[in-house]
Amino acid sequence: MSSGALTHERDVREAYSAHAAELYGFAVRSLADPGLAEEAVQETFLRAWRAGERFDPQIGSLRTWLFAILRNVVIDLGRARSSRPSVAEGGIEPSVEPFDEALLSWQIEEAMRRIGEDHRRVLVETYYRGRPYAEVAAELGVPEGTVKSRVYYGLRALRVVLEEMGYED
Amino acid sequence: MKTERCREWREALGAYALGHLTDEERVSLEGHLEGCPACRAEAAALGSVASLLPHADPERFGPAPMPPPELGKRIAATIDAERRSKRRQRRLRLGFGLSGAAAAAAAAVLAIFILSSGDGSSPEQHVSFRSLPSGVKIAAALEPQAYGTEIHMYVKGIRSGTLCRVYMRGPGGRDVSAGTFRYRWGGDASAVLSAALDLSRAKALVVHAGDRTFVAPIGAGDTALRKQTQEEEST
Repeated sequence: MSSGALTHERDVREAYSAHAAELYGFAVRSLADPGLAEEAVQETFLRAWRAGERFDPQIGSLRTWLFAILRNVVIDLGRARSSRPSVAEGGIEPSVEPFDEALLSWQIEEAMRRIGEDHRRVLVETYYRGRPYAEVAAELGVPEGTVKSRVYYGLRALRVVLEEMGYED
Repeated sequence: MKTERCREWREALGAYALGHLTDEERVSLEGHLEGCPACRAEAAALGSVASLLPHADPERFGPAPMPPPELGKRIAATIDAERRSKRRQRRLRLGFGLSGAAAAAAAAVLAIFILSSGDGSSPEQHVSFRSLPSGVKIAAALEPQAYGTEIHMYVKGIRSGTLCRVYMRGPGGRDVSAGTFRYRWGGDASAVLSAALDLSRAKALVVHAGDRTFVAPIGAGDTALRKQTQEEEST
């Protein structure tokens, strides 16, 4: 009856150890507030537990399901926050990106964290900072061809990691 | 066709996907791609990854913040508290279910409640006992569990100190022990017991209280959604 469903406290504990870090990392990015992010993760697991019987692994992964719950929680928290007086420092409200865009960004950033340092470094220098390959090569003390091949293997690694994370293009 | 030459082209595919090749390099690479489906597929795959890069913020590639270690424990404690309070509510509901029966005093009452709780939790059955002596109430809420059935017993009005033994009667009249409890004082008492018998197979709940035995059928009202009460006047 409960095969795969999230009906027991033990299931929740397992789901927590597998996915809490990701959910929290994303919640911090999305809400720009660690305290609120904690609240969001806690609420996500509570809702998951209350609705545990509705989780069906045939339909989608537990990770996807939890992120879908977090999505609603973040939206609810955002609503609650916007009705509260602003407490942001310097009077700057943290930007509330649309959830899906924020999730996409976070997934790519998480994938970047998971690939090797060498690969990430050349992608940051050549792509994000727009520096010439020769300059990056000199700084790293490697031939220019090596920078080029690291860019190639870095993109490949990124693709593999994104696939592992369940990203579909 | 994958050749040794592809290797050299391949390593340029990353820079190509990011738009980092000079016009000259790009034109000659595209010449190769035209005749090489394998490299073309690779170029397309890298192109789709490259198209995602603008969505990321390189300032955020550092270590992600980790949840504080006590968060997991706090969630577990909250869930545990919520589960307990749900049980208390169920017992309370059971009590309300009985107050109607109390009005009938010596009347024999068979009441089977099947409550489908709004939160989507598993269906539980409420069972009460017929032909009880005046002033005595015995009822139970049965909840299906992976290991069998959880039984929340509710007893009132029997002599303090009475030992109660509870069984679930399975197919063929086989009784499965659900444990014992002692009725301690004159007020309400409840006990949580369990039996290794699937609720769907259970036919009756049997309570031996001192030298009396009470039997309540289980599952007779399976089709009832909310409440099905059948009363038999005996006096």
